[in-house]
Amino acid sequence: MSTKGTHIPDRLKIPFAGITPAPTQEKGQDLFPTGNWRSIRPVYRDKLPPCNNACGTNEKIQGYLDLVKRGKYVDAYALIKEDMPFPSVTGRVCYHPCEQACNRGKYDEAISIRAVERFLGDLGQALKHDVVKAGKPNGKKVAVVGSGPAGHSAAYQLARLGYKVTILEKSPKAGGLNRGGIPDWVLPQDVLDREIERLVELGITIKTNVEVGKDVTWGDLKKNYDAVVLAVGLTEPNSVRADGEDKEGVHYGLPFLREIGMGASKVKLGARVAVIGGGNTAIDCAREALRQGAVEVTMITVEANAEEMPASPEDLHDMLEEGVELVHGRAVTAVLGNGKVEALQLHPARFSGAINASPISVDREVPAERFHVENVIIAIGQRAALKWLPDEFKTDRGTIKIDRFGRLGDTNFFAAGDVVQLGSGQPLMVVNAVGDGKRVAFNLDRVMRGESLEPRTIPIDVIFDLNRMNMTYFPHFPRVQQPMLAPATRRKTQEEVIQAFTEEQAVEEAGRCFSCGTCNACDNCYLVCPEPCIARPERSNGLYKILIDYCKGCRVCIEECPTGCLEGVPELDFDTGVVRMDTAFAISPGLHGRQAEELRNLGQRPAKNI
Amino acid sequence: MATVTAAKKRTVRINGCVASAQAAKYADVDVIAAYPIRPYTATMMALAQMVANGELDAEYIVADSEHSQLSIAHGASSSGARVFTGSSGVGVQFAYELYSPISGSRMPVQMMIADRTLDPPGDFGSEHTDALSTRDMGWLMGWACDAQEAFDNHLMAFRIGEDRRVLLPQMVCQDGFFVSHITSDVELPDSGQVKEFLPPYKHPYPLDPRHPVSHGPQIMPEQGPPLQLERARAMEDSMAVIEEVHDEFAKIFGRRYDPWVEEFMTDGADVVFFMQGGHAVTARFAIQHMREKGLKVGLVRLRTIRPYPTDRVKDVLSKFKVVGVIETNMGLGSPSSGGVLYADACAALYESDKRPLVVSFMAGMGGEAIVLKEFYWMTEKMLEAQKRGKIEKRTHWVGFEE
Repeated sequence: MSTKGTHIPDRLKIPFAGITPAPTQEKGQDLFPTGNWRSIRPVYRDKLPPCNNACGTNEKIQGYLDLVKRGKYVDAYALIKEDMPFPSVTGRVCYHPCEQACNRGKYDEAISIRAVERFLGDLGQALKHDVVKAGKPNGKKVAVVGSGPAGHSAAYQLARLGYKVTILEKSPKAGGLNRGGIPDWVLPQDVLDREIERLVELGITIKTNVEVGKDVTWGDLKKNYDAVVLAVGLTEPNSVRADGEDKEGVHYGLPFLREIGMGASKVKLGARVAVIGGGNTAIDCAREALRQGAVEVTMITVEANAEEMPASPEDLHDMLEEGVELVHGRAVTAVLGNGKVEALQLHPARFSGAINASPISVDREVPAERFHVENVIIAIGQRAALKWLPDEFKTDRGTIKIDRFGRLGDTNFFAAGDVVQLGSGQPLMVVNAVGDGKRVAFNLDRVMRGESLEPRTIPIDVIFDLNRMNMTYFPHFPRVQQPMLAPATRRKTQEEVIQAFTEEQAVEEAGRCFSCGTCNACDNCYLVCPEPCIARPERSNGLYKILIDYCKGCRVCIEECPTGCLEGVPELDFDTGVVRMDTAFAISPGLHGRQAEELRNLGQRPAKNI
Repeated sequence: MATVTAAKKRTVRINGCVASAQAAKYADVDVIAAYPIRPYTATMMALAQMVANGELDAEYIVADSEHSQLSIAHGASSSGARVFTGSSGVGVQFAYELYSPISGSRMPVQMMIADRTLDPPGDFGSEHTDALSTRDMGWLMGWACDAQEAFDNHLMAFRIGEDRRVLLPQMVCQDGFFVSHITSDVELPDSGQVKEFLPPYKHPYPLDPRHPVSHGPQIMPEQGPPLQLERARAMEDSMAVIEEVHDEFAKIFGRRYDPWVEEFMTDGADVVFFMQGGHAVTARFAIQHMREKGLKVGLVRLRTIRPYPTDRVKDVLSKFKVVGVIETNMGLGSPSSGGVLYADACAALYESDKRPLVVSFMAGMGGEAIVLKEFYWMTEKMLEAQKRGKIEKRTHWVGFEE
């Protein structure tokens, strides 16, 4: 008998030859730890979705869309509030670079992110108590000069960090550009008022009618506060430098809008109005002009066509629907009239893009055109009023001189928003000012705590390539459209033009999100693993774990991951502490798994730490 | 589960194929996996009739090949069913992949073999090579020499293979044509006798969604040897079970078989034939004639080749001067350059103090009958070797030499 005297060691014994308990049972897989067959290891690693990357303040867009999809609206609102103090505002006014970056735009139509943001912002406005609380007081006082988007954002983040914040606002009402630069029919005043109230609820003091340089001096700021954030914006309109620009009936874009916004406007427009400029403010002015009683509004731009205008295509479209005319390739060379505007003298012009000379070249060799108007609104940009600022902190282009952390030299003064971003290449948009305010607040905090300022060096892996995701899982599905008032009725009223999503619409639209590169707990990996060797205590990003002792590296989960957050990492990339040949045929559970330590840490590393 | 119609013991005149079908019916099989190939097809034809008539309540599955047939058998057995299947010749070969997995997962599938010569070219005749080529795959294996023995072997094989100490598949073999298609009297038992002998089949770990288990998972290399050792143990442990079952069978049915070898007229014999299967019936006649003429010749018929009864073969064959192995199989390039049985006989005898001379006869090849005069010729060769004290050559091709 050949088998006489044989014995099988305990560790190799199984209940019955060839038969084991099911793999899902507690001990089942211990018998067959097949992990050392693996040459590719699946790793959950969230990438940065392109929307988050494009957002001026890096809102966790994929994150809140996912929460909306699951009906967790308050959680979604809380997530958005980490980076954005007033989603109800940006949900209406933002130029949404996120939607331009949205991968879904390459597939069918981009997600209507702004509309979902507005849904959440309005939901937050309705909450009796905001989800955001002030930080534990740290005894330090900070002044924020200006209550526009950058000042609002900086004050908000500083209050959350525990600072005693005072906002100094030169206008009678807080809000800055949010109030003075954005018409009511885009952003109703009461929405902004509610967001300002939220600042007060955070313990922030708002002092209006306080102008730096007049009511407070540089020295006062330095003496009375531990630190200061200068977010004074660009308040002075640029002129077209044309003869007769000082005639009656000539208005400038931002003051025109601001006075209407503050309820202090005495402007009476005639029937024919020209708006000079091709940007977003010019568009707002043209549309506001209609609402202020103008009958014929013409927009005169130096750009040769509508595509070249530095404006949001949607806003341009809505303006044209309301009946504003466009005249391209013209510059105003003189304002004609006897004391009061009667006509404009126009010459052909083009935008040359020159940097050190005038970017606009005007052809004065041809006979001038005469364009009859009763009013003209000049909206070709703004500049800062910085007389109060010590010269050492002024730049040649009329902005505040800062280092890359937003700090003025080694002072405790910081600056944020348009007043530093003008000419930087960054579009002067609300969301970019908000992001600037947020980052400056965090930098200020680091300085206050005596920490050194480090530039951001976290590598950002943004998924732009749809091939990194499994598109099989995403059927084509059209974008949910926001309802709008009809052009014929809206052009005469201050009613909000674009209407809000219903809850159903917001959920439907959020459900279109690809969740590019980021786990959205779809459970697909858990279901397709043939072993199964994927475990999760519940469906949630970050809770999925690969049982590394058993995973054979078959790649099914990686291939079938809809979002591309699962990656196949060559096993040999993780050779720290690995003695592969020694363990290749080891049965003891965990021998191989222990090699995964480095990788486990990788999985827990926040991918979006920006 | 099927219920066999209550039947009293009776004798019927049927061929080997139908005897096998009757055995499957008496064993109340749950699943029959069929795919036609001559000559075993007649068994499946008979079973199909039984199922159609309502005599047997079983799943009768017609596969699309022998490979599928054995896969079906494997799966059905894993679910806890008593499974009957079968094949012949190249059909046995086509299913080869499944033999080790079935025995490795310890599924007591029963397979009826009616031998057929392997190609080429097509040959319907019987030769044992088809089943013998799978003899080391972990299946219990033995040949019957007539329809009654085939019937009995089927019942005993179920009982042995399904024993918890064994749990191995069984090939129950009979010669094509000589047994499968020759009609003879077969005593069919009382169904109560079968009930007493063969309890309902119950696998200890069937596939059942209510009690999940894994069958045949991937394993680590170091987990392979213990599983092979377990399978080897089961094969060895089956020997005691085989003996027990034969005793039990004799008690209940009244027919006693030696589980390992049948000795026929070996008393005082100097030379013996060592063979398997249906040609033993002719051999018995030839030996009787030669004994009448005073030649000291006998027959040792091997009934079970797997597990191989090494000691028993050694003890039995050591009593004689010359052993003539009748192969009825092809072992091209084998130790004897003839069949494969020679090596098994010699291996058993190697440790014997009294080793007989061993000579191998290639006879019954291609399905040819081994006629009486060929037995006489082979006996002469053995007697010459006895006289000379050495063999003329290891292998003789019977019918092709003077």
